[in-house]
Amino acid sequence: MVLVSMGSLLTAFVGFLLASPWTAVPLAAFLIATGYGWARHQALVARAVTFAMTTVTLLTLGLIVVFIFAESIPAFRYETASVFGVSVPGLGMFTQARWDAVSEPVRYSLLPMVHGTVMVTTIATLVAAPLGVAAALFIAEIAPPRVRELVKPGIEVLAGIPSIVYGFIGFTVINPWAGDAFALNGGSTYLFVGIVVGLMALPTVVSVAEDALTSVPDVMKNGSLALGATDWQSMTSITLPAAFSGVSAAVLLGVGRAIGETMAATVMLAGVPRISEPLVNVFYGYETLTSLIARGYGSANGVHESALFAAGVVLFVTVLCLSIGSQYIEARMRRRLGGVE
Amino acid sequence: MSRATQTALVRDDRTVYEAVAGSAVGVSGVAFALGLAALLDVVAIDESVAGIELSVAFGVLLLALGTAVVGFGVTSRLAYVDTNPQPSAGIVAAVAFTAVWFAAGAVAAGAWGLGTVGRLGAGAVLGGIGFATTAFPREDIGSTAPAGAIAGLFGLLLGGGVVGPGWEQVLTGYNATLFGDTVVPVVVLFASLVTGWSAAKAYGGFGARGRNVGAYVLIYLVVGSILTVLVGLVAFVTVKGLPGLFNGFDVGGAGLVRWPFLTNGAGLLADIAGVFPALMGTIWLVVGAVLFAVPTGVGAAVFLSEYAEQGRFTGAVEVATNGLWSTPSIVFGLFGAAFLIPRFGNQKSLIAGMLTLGFMLLPLVLITSREAILAVPDDYRDASAALGVSKWQTIRSVVLPAAIPGVTTGVILGVGRIAGETAPILLTMGGGVLPARSAAPDVLGGFRLSASPPFVSNPALLEATSALPYQLYALITAGLSGNIRNPQEYAWGLALTLLLVVLVFYAIGIATRYYFRRKLHQ
Repeated sequence: MVLVSMGSLLTAFVGFLLASPWTAVPLAAFLIATGYGWARHQALVARAVTFAMTTVTLLTLGLIVVFIFAESIPAFRYETASVFGVSVPGLGMFTQARWDAVSEPVRYSLLPMVHGTVMVTTIATLVAAPLGVAAALFIAEIAPPRVRELVKPGIEVLAGIPSIVYGFIGFTVINPWAGDAFALNGGSTYLFVGIVVGLMALPTVVSVAEDALTSVPDVMKNGSLALGATDWQSMTSITLPAAFSGVSAAVLLGVGRAIGETMAATVMLAGVPRISEPLVNVFYGYETLTSLIARGYGSANGVHESALFAAGVVLFVTVLCLSIGSQYIEARMRRRLGGVE
Repeated sequence: MSRATQTALVRDDRTVYEAVAGSAVGVSGVAFALGLAALLDVVAIDESVAGIELSVAFGVLLLALGTAVVGFGVTSRLAYVDTNPQPSAGIVAAVAFTAVWFAAGAVAAGAWGLGTVGRLGAGAVLGGIGFATTAFPREDIGSTAPAGAIAGLFGLLLGGGVVGPGWEQVLTGYNATLFGDTVVPVVVLFASLVTGWSAAKAYGGFGARGRNVGAYVLIYLVVGSILTVLVGLVAFVTVKGLPGLFNGFDVGGAGLVRWPFLTNGAGLLADIAGVFPALMGTIWLVVGAVLFAVPTGVGAAVFLSEYAEQGRFTGAVEVATNGLWSTPSIVFGLFGAAFLIPRFGNQKSLIAGMLTLGFMLLPLVLITSREAILAVPDDYRDASAALGVSKWQTIRSVVLPAAIPGVTTGVILGVGRIAGETAPILLTMGGGVLPARSAAPDVLGGFRLSASPPFVSNPALLEATSALPYQLYALITAGLSGNIRNPQEYAWGLALTLLLVVLVFYAIGIATRYYFRRKLHQ
């Protein structure tokens, strides 16, 4: 029974992958088989079904990788450049700085967008990291319980404000103000996009860093306090060093959030794929990797669309590396703290 | 160290020194608040306060604060008061002041018309001086002199009218101009932060306790500003959005509520344009995503925490889950566009949006459910096993009911998050900018059975549909215009509706957690 059920589920999935109109048949077979099995051998079926559900996460990640990479291949092919006589697909996206999908020569360089993303992310990290760690210290160590019960949900709500609402405020309030206050040619600036994105990455930093800080055993803090150290001394010389890897993982995750933030950047930036002059000019705002995709997707086709997927690949790989890196750091910290106790 | 306990215990034995330092902290706070008000254009810097311009008054204030801060340091160094300084202000303060003075030097040299080399040189010289004064003298001088000097310098610039209301500086090459209106408040904000920190250290008598007080002042300020931003944001959207949201709202005679903004479409025929189609779109999106992600996520969490041996497989799933959690939403959108759209009629559709958001919701549900299941004490499982109950029965009747509060909270918070997502549905679901009421999806009535494959179809699921966040984005890209009476008011009403939908989910989620936690502790 379980075999029938799982087999038909697999068939349904393959049918879906092949976009077959017959997908509904094995899906129905799965539902019937599972329903029958549920009535007869509940424990066995439950185990099989939950296992199938577990594979969904792995499968999703795998499908994302396969489909995004597959769609981006034409763009990587198009932007082949040779280095030392060996032609490397996709290298042309990083060796010149021209993105123009319309007029000749059509080139798809990702450099301008990478530059924009780096600018926005740097500013956002400068905002989110110190503020986030300070707020996490406050919640984990300083605040009396009553205040903590207020501040913590407050920060969570901050995470809940939709990015498009931030973008809308940025578009209608901040951009005109910035254009006025600095006599800019149009109001889109990496500076303010970065600040807004930093505000959006802040809750991630706070909650992960706070988890890390509270996971430091109380024994260590109490020992320090018993020696006559002030609260701040215990924090800087005991809690923060012990939780250092967790806090840096929090900052890494915050950076990941900032890199992937889309709507605020799309709405607030001018949408010109160009590198600002001079490089560190925070008063220009052209385009980031995310806003490029969001703005361009509907109207693009062919190699242009594929180039957008290439931008997605760059984003995905970067953020996945950050995520895995921060997980590794966190796991190491858990092992070490576990050893201390 | 002994002094720390003394001052903490003997509260009313405040010296004059402490009182003055405390009031300097307070004055810095006032200056910070005023600077913020000036930056937000609540007060203009050329307004006159007690006969002098506000910017000059700011200058005088900063000069006084700077002098006072240097005074604290000198008084302490000459041992007029009993403080407890350490040999050096520490490497963090030294680096910070080096950076500050480097910037000051570079900016000053730039204003004098020196080139890049001159700027770097002047910056290096001042930065070096800043480092030396911070790092080498005893802490009471090291943490006050550079701070007081920078505040005093800014005070002289503002008070002497060098930088004031009419001042402007073109940033050549940057295509931007700095005006006094922005620079003066920013300078005041920064200088008051520095003097506030320094005075707080003096208040604590330097040393370990001084650093404690100084750090606490900064941290409280940070948390205060974060909460202010939060409240300000919500209040701002509320105030701007209320007129749109309640346009034409009234409670009719027979107890009927007319709320056209929520029940109308936005066609030419509607007298008051509303967001009904987008609201329905968001509701169906959430329903679809929950139907897909919650059973899958909870089932996976059960398998991972109850059945699976900790090993390579669970490790891989965990890494994949966390990886999915941090994957940018636009990448999910790309994935949905590449994977789902070709399989559902080759056009943007409601079901593609549902599944894309379901994929996003899945890791959130999995992570929180797993935590909730792991938090169920093993005693429960052991007791149930001791009664001879099978494993699955235990899971079904003991573990899952005990984990339900945690799972519910996680699901609600996750739903709040995806309900506001724009990027994925922008690529997978689409919809019109100002859809009429008839464009609202009719999912329940849309199911059709047919004799040819795929046998079941539902045109409502396969059509491009609008949702609240998408419609807001579409309005913005359309330049906040359209054939409705007041697009600005409409857009703000829409933003408020979206914010309310999301915040209601959050409020319910947080309240549920709070309720169950209290119940658990009773």
